[in-house]
Amino acid sequence: MPKHYRPPGKKKEGNVARYITRTHAVKYLQVSLSLFRKLCILKGIFPREPKKKVKGNHHTYYHMKDILFLKHEPLLEKFRDIRAYDKKVKKAVSKKNRDLAERLLTRKPTYTLDMLIRERYPKFIDALRDLDDCLSMVHLFAALPAIEREKIQVKRIHNCRRLSHEWQAYISRSHKLRKTFISVKGIYYQAEVEGQKITWLTPHALQQVLPEDVDYNIMLTFLEFYETLIAFVNFKLYHSINVKYPPILDPRLEALAADLYALSRYLDANSKAPPVESQAVSSSGSEQVEVQQKGTEVDESELRLAQLQHQLPSNEPGALMHLVEDAVGEDEDDEETRECKTLFKNMKFFLSREVPRESLLFVIPAFGGVVSWEGEGAPFNESDQSITHQIVDRPTQGHKFLSREYVQPQWVYDCVNARIILPVEEYMVGRVPPPHLSPFVDHEAEGYVPEYAETIKRLQAAARKEVLPMPGMEKEDLDDPQNLLVEGIINRAEAIEAAEKKRKMSILQKQYHDELKMELQGVQYSSVSNVNKQKSAEDAEAQEDSLPDMQQIVEDNANLSKVVMSRKKRRLYEAMQIGKERKRAHVDLLKNRKKRIDEANKSE
Amino acid sequence: MKVPKEGSRSVDSQIPQSEKETNQKKKEETLNTKEGEEPQVELPTDSESGDEIFSEDDDALRESGSGESESLGDEDIVTTSDGEGLSDDDGNHVQENGSESDEAHEGVEESDSSEDEVTPRNTIGDVPLEWYKDEEHIGYDITGKKIKKKERQDKLDSFLASADDSKSWRKIYDEYNDEEVELTKHEMKLIRRLLKGKAPHADFDPHAPYVDWFAWDDAKHPLSNAPEPKRRFIPSKWESKKVVEYVRAIRKGLIKFDKPKEEPQIYLLWGDDSSSTEKAGHGLAYIPAPKPKLPGHEESYSPSLEYIPAQEEINSYQLMFEEDRPKFIPKRFMSLRSVPAYEKAVNESFDRCLDLYLCPRARKKRINIDPESLKPKLPSRKDLKPYPTTCYIEYRGHKGAVMSISTEASGQWIASGSSDGTVRIWEVETGRCLRVWEVSEAVQHVAWNPLPELPILAVSAGQDVFLLNTGFGNEEEQEKIKELLHVETPTMPEDSGNSTSAVTWAQDDKNKGIRLKHFKSVSSVEWHRKGDYFSTVMPSGESRAILIHQLSKKLTQRTPFKLHGLPVSSAFHPTRSIFFASTKKNVRVYDLLKQKLVKKLEPGVREISSIAIHPGGDNVIVGSREGKLCWFDMDLSSQPYRILKCHPKDITNVAFHRSYPLFASCSDDCTAYVFHGMVYSDLNQNPLIVPLEILRGHTSANGRGVMDCKFHPRQPWLFTAGADSIIKLYCH
Repeated sequence: MPKHYRPPGKKKEGNVARYITRTHAVKYLQVSLSLFRKLCILKGIFPREPKKKVKGNHHTYYHMKDILFLKHEPLLEKFRDIRAYDKKVKKAVSKKNRDLAERLLTRKPTYTLDMLIRERYPKFIDALRDLDDCLSMVHLFAALPAIEREKIQVKRIHNCRRLSHEWQAYISRSHKLRKTFISVKGIYYQAEVEGQKITWLTPHALQQVLPEDVDYNIMLTFLEFYETLIAFVNFKLYHSINVKYPPILDPRLEALAADLYALSRYLDANSKAPPVESQAVSSSGSEQVEVQQKGTEVDESELRLAQLQHQLPSNEPGALMHLVEDAVGEDEDDEETRECKTLFKNMKFFLSREVPRESLLFVIPAFGGVVSWEGEGAPFNESDQSITHQIVDRPTQGHKFLSREYVQPQWVYDCVNARIILPVEEYMVGRVPPPHLSPFVDHEAEGYVPEYAETIKRLQAAARKEVLPMPGMEKEDLDDPQNLLVEGIINRAEAIEAAEKKRKMSILQKQYHDELKMELQGVQYSSVSNVNKQKSAEDAEAQEDSLPDMQQIVEDNANLSKVVMSRKKRRLYEAMQIGKERKRAHVDLLKNRKKRIDEANKSE
Repeated sequence: MKVPKEGSRSVDSQIPQSEKETNQKKKEETLNTKEGEEPQVELPTDSESGDEIFSEDDDALRESGSGESESLGDEDIVTTSDGEGLSDDDGNHVQENGSESDEAHEGVEESDSSEDEVTPRNTIGDVPLEWYKDEEHIGYDITGKKIKKKERQDKLDSFLASADDSKSWRKIYDEYNDEEVELTKHEMKLIRRLLKGKAPHADFDPHAPYVDWFAWDDAKHPLSNAPEPKRRFIPSKWESKKVVEYVRAIRKGLIKFDKPKEEPQIYLLWGDDSSSTEKAGHGLAYIPAPKPKLPGHEESYSPSLEYIPAQEEINSYQLMFEEDRPKFIPKRFMSLRSVPAYEKAVNESFDRCLDLYLCPRARKKRINIDPESLKPKLPSRKDLKPYPTTCYIEYRGHKGAVMSISTEASGQWIASGSSDGTVRIWEVETGRCLRVWEVSEAVQHVAWNPLPELPILAVSAGQDVFLLNTGFGNEEEQEKIKELLHVETPTMPEDSGNSTSAVTWAQDDKNKGIRLKHFKSVSSVEWHRKGDYFSTVMPSGESRAILIHQLSKKLTQRTPFKLHGLPVSSAFHPTRSIFFASTKKNVRVYDLLKQKLVKKLEPGVREISSIAIHPGGDNVIVGSREGKLCWFDMDLSSQPYRILKCHPKDITNVAFHRSYPLFASCSDDCTAYVFHGMVYSDLNQNPLIVPLEILRGHTSANGRGVMDCKFHPRQPWLFTAGADSIIKLYCH
């Protein structure tokens, strides 16, 4: 009997039974392909790679369990109902039974995705972990125009805007933002919520390009899920800071498209007001919040009231309590949050018209700054004397107040990334600001440190009042960041003997390397006779005296051990070497360019 | 004086078409109504108003200096006006209708007839004018007289006349009547309106509200005389059915009127995390999608200058393969306000979506290890000393590539054979060339007799193998050697027996030795350990490819074994009577006494180039042309114990040291590797192989590198023979 023969009545087993191609899955579920897609997206089901592809290489395989999981999904039944209902409506319309059609349309069956979210993310932390794509997508759609043709409805765009603002308001309020980066693609933000690093991208606030070759249906399906997810996440987050969700905004500010500001005010009012009044009223904050929700007008006045209370804490009898509350809050925060909270403390910012307002309104309060902008609804106007920084992005600034600094918006982002207040000279109006560096790059792993990163590092060290090697000293071994690091460490802990020893060793090593280099150059320039080569013995004593072909020897040593490796290991090793080589080539390219630029600058 | 009037006519005849048509229609209507019950005739307004207007019109005509119209009566349809008169009239003309009906009637009648009856001067009718081209006249007037053609002005004159005349722009030449017509102001107005696509008359309203002229209110007779049906008086049965249906549906709850209750969409989903710890899903591990890559410095809106590629680099990307090309080219913007919207934002987001739901996910174990840890732990090389490391002496003298070297048993001399046709003997320690033999052809192989008392050198060159007396040793030994190397020429053919054609033993007078003439070129010569037998390999010798010669008896015999494939080299076992013959694919091991195949070693390489036997006799190394070195443990298996891929090019030779645990390989890549190859007497312990040193120094010549390597018999020294005609000695 051949091996592949399966007698009748015996079940399939192995890969044949375990995996199913997409076509078969669609048939099996008795749905259309588009519905299958939608289900897969909503349920988070993805194809899997079987060990053996039974039907061939060019098929997509799903795990049978996944498909069964889809089969038992109540949504599947719901979608079928909806389809049948749509048919009813269509029939009524085509029979000119407008009455029936309208009646039917008012009671269209709907579905909710909350169960799916609970199923996919049983814990809140799971949801946070998967939030990156969700946030990026929601922020992207918040910036897109509504198009009837592609079924991108205005309602959804507005919803996306609202959700993104709610998220930002929370992050800003709770000072959870960690890193920002202005890239060509948009602005990246990284926040840390419950220990999870969440990174998202917001497009630049401009007219977005809508390409033709994109299937918006798929994106909208994703968006549908993401909207629900972010709404639940927002709910949970707002709940955690004792704020009622969904927030009710000041309609005046909302009309002025200053949603974010309105939201942050709402948050401030709601989360700070209860403790102030908690002495007088022993009722819980949530109750108060509920009271607030009863009417918009009442709510608004309450809002104002709370605002006032917040602004005048020192006159209040509950000021002490307030302070305590603050202290408690700080105890709860980790060190980083505290650092973030106080970065822009005692600073007042004013945004000109041309700077990206939404982004800065998000970032500056997240780091403890007070911000206003040019336009209606702003908390204070340009002539306010207490403004310390005005953010402008124009070639020249006409009228200047002497009491404040005029800086470009990049300064804010760079400060945030460096966690120190950078000197503003470089970022003055009309100047080309220094390069904007990504905070997501690990310089050690990358192997190349841009010049400005070094500067920032020195400034950071200065801010921490630590001693770093003088810039003059560094020039010698700028090419070797490792060395610099080592030296930095050593200088700081010079008293310790062990460090002393280490330093000596490093110096020795450096000396040795220098010698090697010199010798290498010697080899390159003067043609070394064979006799000289003969002397290149491996003896330890001989090494220091003359090493004519050091590189060769090093290479040989590497090769020698490669000779005895097994083939598999050797291949792996070689692949690793190729990866390393590529990385080094990239670093070399950068260094070469840098050198060329420096030379060009010098010659000018 | 008729000229202007006629002109206006000709224009008019075309213009008021629509007007006329409406007139026509109205007239028909009136006729219809006449047939019907309405006895009174209501008149079309336009004809009447036209009459009124005409007078004004006429005034205008008169004004323009034209003469009078001869037939005022039939002019009534030329209903042009300034509009004021008509609009004033519009209101009341209905009332006037009754009184003026008769006149109007006439007018209509007349206008109808006058329509076709335009009275042109010429009466030829609608015939092509070219019929009159050659005639003196253009036609006939109403009285039948010929109308003479006017004399034609030449172009220049007409041009000058037109240039002088300020009114020339409104003059038209009427070909039919052969006269120039000057358009009046009024006519110009008409034409302008026509050009604009409007009705020619300013007062004509194409969208005038429809006036229902016939009042039906007091119509006496209904259209149908049928009695009203009953169904118009009783309630509809169908409707009552429908109502009942609805009522039932409402009662049953099929039709609901109250709106579905709005449930709160968002609630606290993760209220208590501890409660939601139950196992969700379906038993399959959820593999989270990998997060998108975080942006690096180059994606910044103003990266450092070194991240921006030069224009040449960007151009060079075009030469790359599509998939290698960098997808993102860094760009620098001087300020934040100049950053445009990213045009691929939606595309990238979409791609991410596709990745999320279309890409198969699998957990990949990421190997995050130091590559150095992959290297096997080898014993320190310092512990394995001595081994040859550096070149101490070079032996120069050969003109061509040194093909082969051989060390004398005592280790004092080496012999070398070169492709320039010389065999040289060198003193090892001084590098002095002691003797030179000239053989006519390129030397392939040289081999010293392993017996120290028998310093004979076997040299293969072309088809010959020479046995040369080196002249070393004391006199007694020399005597013996001379005796050995003496061949009686006549005896040879008989002696060799069945291999007559293969080899002839002959005395070589020139070099004072024996010359064995083979029938094909000989590639290598190997001595038996006892120094009496030696084997020669002729790669193209087919069944007689490997021959074994006996020096003492001057005998030659074939190996009794069949070789499968081309032979490459042969070797004798160092202690036992076992013979190794290697073909390109494998190595065959024969027992010479039992005359049978003992073993077949399968190195699995493409082409074997050389073999060497460990002095213990149980291990064999095989070098291949693809640069692989195979170590065979004969007790272990016929497969290689270890394959070392050390050389990038062909291995030309491999060698074992006679006493030290060393072996070496040399290759065409101008290097020689020295290995530590310890074989333990304990059978359970595998041989230890450690690469020790890469010896460089030779240069490439004609694509060949190091041709041969041999160890010194007593010292851990290695001789290498290079294609660059140099022999080198590497010492520890």
